[in-house]
Amino acid sequence: MNHPSVLKLEAHLLDPARSPVATHVAACDHCAEQLASMRHQGDDLMRFVYPATVQALEPTRSRRFSWAGFFAPVAALAAAALVMIVHTAPAADHPAADYVGTKGVALKLNVYAGLELGARALSDKDQVPANAALRFRAQPGRPCNLGIVSIDEHGEVSRLYPASGNEGAKLAKVEVLPGGAILDGKVGPERIFAVCSVDPLAMPQVEAAVKIAAGASADSVRAVDTIPGLPAGTAQTTLLLEKTP
Amino acid sequence: MPAVVEDGAGVAQLYRQFGPVVYRRCLALLHDREAARDATQEIFRKLLMDQKKLMERESVLPWIYRVATNHCLNERRNRSRRGEDELQPELQMATEAAPDLFPERQLAQQILARFDAETQAIAVGVFVDGMEHEEVAAALGISRRTVLRKLGRFVENAKKYLLRSTG
Repeated sequence: MNHPSVLKLEAHLLDPARSPVATHVAACDHCAEQLASMRHQGDDLMRFVYPATVQALEPTRSRRFSWAGFFAPVAALAAAALVMIVHTAPAADHPAADYVGTKGVALKLNVYAGLELGARALSDKDQVPANAALRFRAQPGRPCNLGIVSIDEHGEVSRLYPASGNEGAKLAKVEVLPGGAILDGKVGPERIFAVCSVDPLAMPQVEAAVKIAAGASADSVRAVDTIPGLPAGTAQTTLLLEKTP
Repeated sequence: MPAVVEDGAGVAQLYRQFGPVVYRRCLALLHDREAARDATQEIFRKLLMDQKKLMERESVLPWIYRVATNHCLNERRNRSRRGEDELQPELQMATEAAPDLFPERQLAQQILARFDAETQAIAVGVFVDGMEHEEVAAALGISRRTVLRKLGRFVENAKKYLLRSTG
């Protein structure tokens, strides 16, 4: 009698309802015994290893990013030019006629790429590997509601922060934002916009405005530097990345 | 479209869901709880670098299997290089999955480490995990033809090796 392979038993444990070997397993003492042993091993991990190791796996502490190691010298140098502060809106010399900027409400966004050799602060038009992992640090001029989106040359808009919900996330002071983003692996321009509004910020509205402003070509994504049509009291900033193989 | 990486809560959930899969794989190949625990953590770090794949329901398990198998077989090779062969546990062969392959399983046990990484992974899939050739091919992301070719070469060379060493 042939029994299901290890991989099929793993699939069974993960999702018994969709398991193609459920019938076999239900009638097989050998498999029942093996599954019990597998569960026991899983319990061992969860009881003794998981609690002690889960924090070490969180993105901010992962070896790949080494954020703590990266920010330490930055903090020591305080406001020195090591931190690349990207293009703060209203940055264009002549913003669009319907652009509503916010006098006195600056928004600074730092974007960092987690590369094999460590984290690197990015500046406008920087080239990054097309599958780079990004993290963000935002500094509001005053407390506001922050949202970060990006758009590629196909006009595809991605919400980068906050990860869920329809509104921007409250940002009261300079903060390294939780989570991050991984680029999609496709070569070409990717423009990131950060917007922060004193009033609640409707993310679908931001996404729609970005889509209209940036268009759907490499040239238009590279050229756009402000999002018109945002509510009054909304500060914005942008950064262009060139994704490379 | 960039994929959003959730913060710690998302990682914890992925770890709870798939950590046991990785850990069991490591136990099966390393037979050492401490080594398996360390390896699980290292493997999970690798997996988290591509969180999109961890979200792909249909392909996530073969991918985890592939990454974990390669990592643990590599760890076994490193032990051999460090002269820790006496600590090297024997792999538990799948006695039920393919009874007609029993002589080959014995060969595999003895000479696995003499072959390249991909051949090792194929042999482990067939002889240790009791997988069909197609399942091994899918899990390792290679063609069934490659599985057959490498497995055939593995068994053939294993027999030659044994003949030489016993003759």
